[in-house]
Amino acid sequence: MEIEERNIQQETEDIIICRDVHKWYGNFHALKGVSTTVKSGEVVVILGPSGSGKSTLIRTINRLEQHQRGEIIVDGIELSGDVRNIDAIRREVGMVFQSFNLFPHLSVMQNITLAPTKVRHWSKAQAEEVAMELLTRVGIPEQAAKFPAELSGGQQQRVAIARALAMQPKIMLFDEPTSALDPEMIKEVLDVMRELASSGMTMLTVTHETGFAREVADRVIMMDEGNIVEEAPPGEFFTNPKNERAQLFLSQIL
Amino acid sequence: MASRPSSPPEAMLPPRSEVGVIGWLHANLFSNWFNTVLTLVSGAVLVLCLWFGLKWIFLIADWTVIAELGGRFLLGRYNTEAACSGQNCFWRPQAALIMVSLLMGAAWGLQGNRVARTLAWLVAGVSAAFAFLPYNLETMGLDVRVLLLLNLPAVPLGWALARYTPLGTGTRITMLGVAIFFLTLMLMRGLPGIAFLQPVSVVYWGGLALNLILAVGGITLSLPIGVSLALGRRSNLPVVKVLCVFFIEVFRGVPLIALLFMSQTLVPLAFPEDMPQNSLFRAGVVITLFSSAYMAENIRGGLQALHPGQAEAARALGLPGWQTTMLISLPQAIRNVIPAIVGQFIGLFKDTSLVYIIGMLDVVAIGRSFIQSNPEYLANARELFVFLALVFWVFTYGMSYVSGKVEEHLGVGRR
Repeated sequence: MEIEERNIQQETEDIIICRDVHKWYGNFHALKGVSTTVKSGEVVVILGPSGSGKSTLIRTINRLEQHQRGEIIVDGIELSGDVRNIDAIRREVGMVFQSFNLFPHLSVMQNITLAPTKVRHWSKAQAEEVAMELLTRVGIPEQAAKFPAELSGGQQQRVAIARALAMQPKIMLFDEPTSALDPEMIKEVLDVMRELASSGMTMLTVTHETGFAREVADRVIMMDEGNIVEEAPPGEFFTNPKNERAQLFLSQIL
Repeated sequence: MASRPSSPPEAMLPPRSEVGVIGWLHANLFSNWFNTVLTLVSGAVLVLCLWFGLKWIFLIADWTVIAELGGRFLLGRYNTEAACSGQNCFWRPQAALIMVSLLMGAAWGLQGNRVARTLAWLVAGVSAAFAFLPYNLETMGLDVRVLLLLNLPAVPLGWALARYTPLGTGTRITMLGVAIFFLTLMLMRGLPGIAFLQPVSVVYWGGLALNLILAVGGITLSLPIGVSLALGRRSNLPVVKVLCVFFIEVFRGVPLIALLFMSQTLVPLAFPEDMPQNSLFRAGVVITLFSSAYMAENIRGGLQALHPGQAEAARALGLPGWQTTMLISLPQAIRNVIPAIVGQFIGLFKDTSLVYIIGMLDVVAIGRSFIQSNPEYLANARELFVFLALVFWVFTYGMSYVSGKVEEHLGVGRR
């Protein structure tokens, strides 16, 4: 009973906390005091027009971008200048990029096992076993020996997801994972993400795939000009947006 | 509206004039009147060059000057009475050569590929072939010939060492290579106090051996130094960055000849007078540093061409900065600039002949001084320099060939 209670408590724990996060690029104010929290196991989709700060926000969460004011607490660790904190957080946060960013000089298998062997210090055999499991999970176990350039875009993005999952992260960040893909490949990547969401992974996804948001997200965040303008469950967000900007945005994309 | 055929058209063969020998000729040589004229003119020039070139090589040229130059071409004044009085020092560079053959064999055993095998047998085979030069036994003794022939068994010995002993890992063979380089220097230089290793001053070192020693030292050191400088130049630490920029700009901005002069005239002033002076060492350091400055810029170019997403992806996986550099950025950067790096190596090898201006007799200077001191061969200077050009070309083409194979192996341009 005790264990179960603790599990429940952990699940409802806030795993990401952003309080009044500001970010400037030179003089450009990209994030203007963003505050939000994400619970463990929650699937959050961030929508918004380009330049609204969506990507910047999720990139501050693993500190690919540095925020200059406010605080971000991920898995109980506050993001500060301390390099050890940053590396500790990056181990727990996986990220998938729009342009895949697979390492072209390494095979699919090496792409996936690199971080577990170098950062987590797993044995090669253990890392490869996990990698094969993950490749099977994303549906391309037969591509393990190939190099990224030999794969289609959709396959590359699935490898990128497997690579991030190999570190057994608690949180996954997706930065427009399907925006560089042909329409027929978008589905195969979204299917993997759907499966991942149903497995209870905490996910923060920037995407333009409203279908995915509607179906999978627990909550939709709408950003505009560096601020969160609306935060609501998808059913509510898509049918009855309260904010004017959100209404305009939805009328344009739907 | 134009009507469309109900079924897609069948795939057809290309027109006959586009395939086969005729097609190739048509497409590449005679595609229009301008190209036809170009083909005919350049063909005529080619035939004329071949005609006069071959005629000169086989009928007019007198190649005895090369034979007369003989071993001096390889070793300069190393094995003369002045350099090595009272004993015969020929065996020392020979032993070094055998070690090189052994190393090549080991590299083959380690890599197991055709290129490494070809190179190993080429080095050993050419060395061994010298044993059969038609000199009489007084000019070229049996001992010399036997030592040359020993290069042949050295290759399989090295191969077996790499295959069947714990020596056969990349790191260990590399260490063996470094050890052999220093052993070569030690053998050639000699050790005071050991009777059979009488010291030979570096001023007597010369010939192709001098070029090769400078080139091997320079090439192996300029890559790591260049990489460090390139990384330093991109560093976030202002002091490191400024120092690296300063070093690169100074060594790149001053002619190598000026640097070589300075190494002989200025650098000794900075040290106590009774300190042993070694002009070869100073020349080697200058050539290496000069080349490193260029290397640094080549590598930096490769680093800048990388998509920033590569480093981001590595950092996002939790790899620390230095691992990101060593495992992700550098391998890709170096791979992308292999042609520039090899160009730099080739340039360095050719530049080693500039040491003649500080009085060292490299292979070119040996040839020149031979002609000057033997006026009967003045008319044959052409043959000598054509031969020297060929020797340089063989080595530089070898580098070019190997780099091409390395690129192929790494799949450069494909992935």
